[in-house]
Amino acid sequence: MIPIQIVLISAVVFIAFYMYLRLRSSLLDAILIFLFCAVAVFFILFPDMTTKIAQWLGVKRGINLVFYCITLFFFFLILKLYSRMRRLENKFTEIVRENSLNRAEDLADKKDEIV
Amino acid sequence: MVTDNRSIFVIVPGFNEATVIRQTVEVLLQKNYSVIVVDDASTDTTRKTLSGLPVFYIRHVANLGQGAAIQTGIHLALKKNAQYIVTFDADGQHDVNDIERMINLLQHENADIVFGSRFLPGAASNLHLTRRLVLKTARLINYLASGILLSDANNGLRVMTREAALKIRITENRSSHNAQMQNLVKFNKLKYAECAVNVSYSEYSRRKGLKNINSIRILYDLILFKIFR
Repeated sequence: MIPIQIVLISAVVFIAFYMYLRLRSSLLDAILIFLFCAVAVFFILFPDMTTKIAQWLGVKRGINLVFYCITLFFFFLILKLYSRMRRLENKFTEIVRENSLNRAEDLADKKDEIV
Repeated sequence: MVTDNRSIFVIVPGFNEATVIRQTVEVLLQKNYSVIVVDDASTDTTRKTLSGLPVFYIRHVANLGQGAAIQTGIHLALKKNAQYIVTFDADGQHDVNDIERMINLLQHENADIVFGSRFLPGAASNLHLTRRLVLKTARLINYLASGILLSDANNGLRVMTREAALKIRITENRSSHNAQMQNLVKFNKLKYAECAVNVSYSEYSRRKGLKNINSIRILYDLILFKIFR
């Protein structure tokens, strides 16, 4: 095993472990995390496999295929995050609106205030 | 057949408009309209400037955007049994006399909502040529996004009936609320009309209002609105 493989594998295992602890996941999540982790470790140990798959798909090099996959994955992630952000913003708006409506005032009564 | 002006609620959304908002509101009050000022978390003296005037004042504790401010105003207007709801920009660019003409048109055409337009014949405005071009382009983009073609898609002056206001629920907090409103008009099959309105751009509203470059931001909001509806 070459040094970079040790570094990457320990990072993947650490992240998977951390995610599992943090999310207090259901069994399904745990299985998914384990699968991702297993696939990652597999490709770290046998990087030439990516090239084989790539060529089978008609892509020249394995690294290119990985790059395409990551791009798509990130794009998907951004969309997911954005829709979550919008949901949060809607909730936030509701709270601010509710609060403002409860405190609506008629300024005619506020004549005595310093202008 | 003009109704009591007190049942006509004018919503004035404002963000840091302290220097002009009192003047805008006073003109509206002279016509006996009920006025709702929605202060979108201004950091200036907007509230102080208005104190003593018989207006409903609502303040967002955090800045949400013009669309959200209008929607908050609609909520309050409905609660206060408004019969007609008007949206009116705080910077004084609109002509208060247009409201009456728009309500007449609304009643005459039996429409649910009337949009103000700077581009119909009879409208007087002192728009810059570049601004005009940007607005013309925006009009087409709005048409693609909303499904109805208005001659002026981004005019802040509108009049709607209580029934229409109940159906129009703006969830686009920022600039794409214009498109969303038109979208809801189409979706709910509301009857709409357009009315020529006068707009006077003061140096103030030019400086304060939407700059042409902001249209890129609006476009961006619009695309997101279409994707994430």
